[in-house]
Amino acid sequence: MIDTTITIVYILEILVGGLLVGIGVHFVPVGGAPAAMAQAAGIGTGTVQLAAGSGLTGLLAAGLMMEAMRLSGLANHIPAGEIDYNIWLVLASGAVGAGIMMGSTMLTGSWIYAYAVGAPFASAKVNYDPITGFSQPPYVAPGTVGQGIPTICFVSGLIGGMMGGLGGAMIYYPLYLINGNAALSAMFAIGIFLVNAVIASWNIQGTIEGFHDPKFKKWPFAFKACAIASILLALASVMITGGA
Amino acid sequence: MAFLSDMDPKKLRLYGLVGSVVGIYLGAILNSALNTNVFSFIGAIAAIFAVIMGANAVRRVCAYGIGTGVPSIGMLALGMGIIAVMFGLSMAETLGSVLLGPIIILIYAGIFGYIIGVIANKVIKFNIPIMEEGNADLSMAGAMALLGWSFAISGTLGYVDILKDVLMTGYIAIIFIAGGLAILHPFNANLGPDEKQDRTLVNAVMCSGIAMIATGIAALMTQGLAPGLLQLVIGFAIWFYFFKMYYRLVKRDASAVVGTGLLPPTVQ
Repeated sequence: MIDTTITIVYILEILVGGLLVGIGVHFVPVGGAPAAMAQAAGIGTGTVQLAAGSGLTGLLAAGLMMEAMRLSGLANHIPAGEIDYNIWLVLASGAVGAGIMMGSTMLTGSWIYAYAVGAPFASAKVNYDPITGFSQPPYVAPGTVGQGIPTICFVSGLIGGMMGGLGGAMIYYPLYLINGNAALSAMFAIGIFLVNAVIASWNIQGTIEGFHDPKFKKWPFAFKACAIASILLALASVMITGGA
Repeated sequence: MAFLSDMDPKKLRLYGLVGSVVGIYLGAILNSALNTNVFSFIGAIAAIFAVIMGANAVRRVCAYGIGTGVPSIGMLALGMGIIAVMFGLSMAETLGSVLLGPIIILIYAGIFGYIIGVIANKVIKFNIPIMEEGNADLSMAGAMALLGWSFAISGTLGYVDILKDVLMTGYIAIIFIAGGLAILHPFNANLGPDEKQDRTLVNAVMCSGIAMIATGIAALMTQGLAPGLLQLVIGFAIWFYFFKMYYRLVKRDASAVVGTGLLPPTVQ
């Protein structure tokens, strides 16, 4: 049996991971179906798809880093139980992996919006882009709430993606240490990830532009909801075994 | 399947729960008592009952409009389900009785789904009256469907076997998405003011048939020719029968079905 202090640390790590996922969703510029028709700013797909995408890439990157550590440990003849997994490297790997995924999604999406749809990038939620200072309202087509992915949305999306990946890695890391089974930990982490992402996406009711959006102020609700859900999930996950 | 047309949700839930639990136990007991694995297909049949219950829960909750699209709630169901399945099987293994698994899974999934429903209503302030029971249904349906398909692939309810045959091989990803398809797709495809219960649920059974074909292919690899082929054939039969029925229902509900022909020649 694992000793109590370590178990509590594992539970806390899963809790923080779940919260990071829940808050990270609020940063991602989710446009949903309107954005797919270039009638709203953001990426033209749903929250869950984006959150799951960034989270799973984060998981993969974190899992790859842990596997590399395990292999290098075995190569140096360290017994399997005593390999030191550096949590910071795993977390950084997860965050960077998910950030790259979100960044490339937004970049290629931008090409479509710019060169295929032919829409100027503009946000209807702010008058001036807080980062570039460009004026927005003249470029917002009448009857729409912005188009494309303006700079502020891109930066916000990168932060959101990295938070999602960080959360995914933070969930995967303790799970792997508990049960030592990569496939089981990954599926379990996906489950925890999806629950938190869906709760957070319910909170923003489908679409959000990023941290400059007025809807972003609703994040405390998601924080509370994800905290309750993550604790319950964490309690279940510290009890499972790797099946020898 | 005329009885699907106006069955009330309570009855449907009862059939879904009893059908899936009894089916999984029947398959597991027959397999272990006769020392064979040809009865694995019963797991995939049992999953159909769970899928019908889940698809009906999706249709009830999403009829209120949740703002994030139907797929989100289907993914939530599967996310809650996979955790319940792994937790329940692991607990059953720890307690020393494999047959306790489905019961633990059902209890955990029900409680957890209900709590998620309470969170959605009280914290996120959805104020959808059936959110609690809807989410409990979804969670249980997702868990039982995943368990049924996992059993169909591995042929036993043992935690170690399911880990080895379903998770380590990666087939879990297939049944995860096939399960999502079966639970969330029916309402997503049929929603609208003329959405009818029987059409949506027949679509759900049809998607379960596709999932059964997928588990059949996986079972060919894990259990051998006979159980895999049996699942493939039964799954295909289910899919074919219900696809025809679905098409009939679509024609019944559509105001007109007309052929458009090929694209007209370009007018210069």
